[in-house]
Amino acid sequence: MRYESDKQPGPYGPPGDAPRLIGQGSIWIMAAAPTIWAVHFVASYVLAAVWCAKIGASLVTPAWIIAAMGLVCAALIVWLGVIAVRRYGGVFVIFEEITESSERGRDRFIGHVSLLLCILSVVAIGFTVIPGLILGSC
Amino acid sequence: MRRIFLLGLPLVLGACEGRHNWLASGGAEAIRVEQLFWVLVVGAAVIWTLVIGAAVYAHRRQVDPSLEKQARQFIIWGGAVIPTVVVCALLVWGLVILRDITTKEGDLTVRVDGERWWWRVIYESPEGDVVTANEIRLPVDNTALFKLTADDVIHSFWVPALGGKMDMIPGRETELTLTPVETGSWGGLCAEFCGGAHALMRFDAIVMEEAAFNDWLAHEASPAEVAQDDAGLGVFLDEGCGACHTIRGTEAVGPVGPDLTHLASRERLGAGIYDMTPDNMAAWITDTHEMKPDIDMPPYPNLDGARLDQLVAFLMSLD
Repeated sequence: MRYESDKQPGPYGPPGDAPRLIGQGSIWIMAAAPTIWAVHFVASYVLAAVWCAKIGASLVTPAWIIAAMGLVCAALIVWLGVIAVRRYGGVFVIFEEITESSERGRDRFIGHVSLLLCILSVVAIGFTVIPGLILGSC
Repeated sequence: MRRIFLLGLPLVLGACEGRHNWLASGGAEAIRVEQLFWVLVVGAAVIWTLVIGAAVYAHRRQVDPSLEKQARQFIIWGGAVIPTVVVCALLVWGLVILRDITTKEGDLTVRVDGERWWWRVIYESPEGDVVTANEIRLPVDNTALFKLTADDVIHSFWVPALGGKMDMIPGRETELTLTPVETGSWGGLCAEFCGGAHALMRFDAIVMEEAAFNDWLAHEASPAEVAQDDAGLGVFLDEGCGACHTIRGTEAVGPVGPDLTHLASRERLGAGIYDMTPDNMAAWITDTHEMKPDIDMPPYPNLDGARLDQLVAFLMSLD
């Protein structure tokens, strides 16, 4: 498979370029998807708590807001998953061990872990959204 | 290990029969929870058998590198994809049950206030509220909507044989519906640790035919039939019992403790823990904290002889 780290084996781009936060050897992509899930979870919790305490007993409106936020967050995570595949060469299933001590080997490992975390985070966001949509009341 | 198993077995099996049996199918809501339970139990047994079977098979089989790709696919599907789908399906099913047992309309509404450590019960009726305590009567095949709250600490309202349980939270109102499908007397209890006498915070849930229930509710709404010169009523008022307890039809209008207007019509004393007998009533008055530790009602150890007999006879006449 061809991916960008084949073309740019070093951790950073050409001299003078600032390093990207996500891409080219940075490990932040691994933390990004779970962080998006955590932010969505806390925002959902705070929204539902404030709504139930201050506004009313029906959870229908905040449930749809939480679902809409969930869609946006899921889209962001899908974008991260695409980066994990394209820039890092991440694959869903690894059929041979990654033992290569090289930039490419590290990228593949980070890409694989990030892709799995992206999938897990999307499922977790679903678990946050579903209860509000079904229960509909405080 | 065997000894521990044998010692623990009665405790486990003890939950399978009797008044608190949550597999008794006594209510429509309980039946739905039971269905979920049996699907979980059977499903878990099947999954456990498959996983252990696969592990034994893998252990005994010789390693075949040509099958590694299939093995990894098997792990991905069996270990990640299928569990995720199953957990999602169970989450949705459980949430739908929770929604259905908490948000239905009721044929009658009962407000229950959790106190330390007893239950204030108020039936809403067109003629006005009917106040009672520590016993809940319901008409069979009718849905009762319970509006639950608590006085000062969190309790949890649960009649295992009839349906789900729901927390009672000070300052908030939670809702639960129960639809009993057969007549009988079931046990109810507080399912959230709430202090010293938590384990003694119980009640009877008595399911009656609808006509009998209506008669009972009409009687419960009526004032007590008491002669104003009853000697026992005199003792009751002299000792200051009326500062905490209400007996409608008398001067006793205390709002703190349980309403005693039809006390003797209840099957049990002390929030569902003692049979309603004169001996237990006398012991309750003189040795209150021996009967139920930590409660707010003070004991009256000096009340004995004729005055105690008069008071007990009076209370036992409140049917």
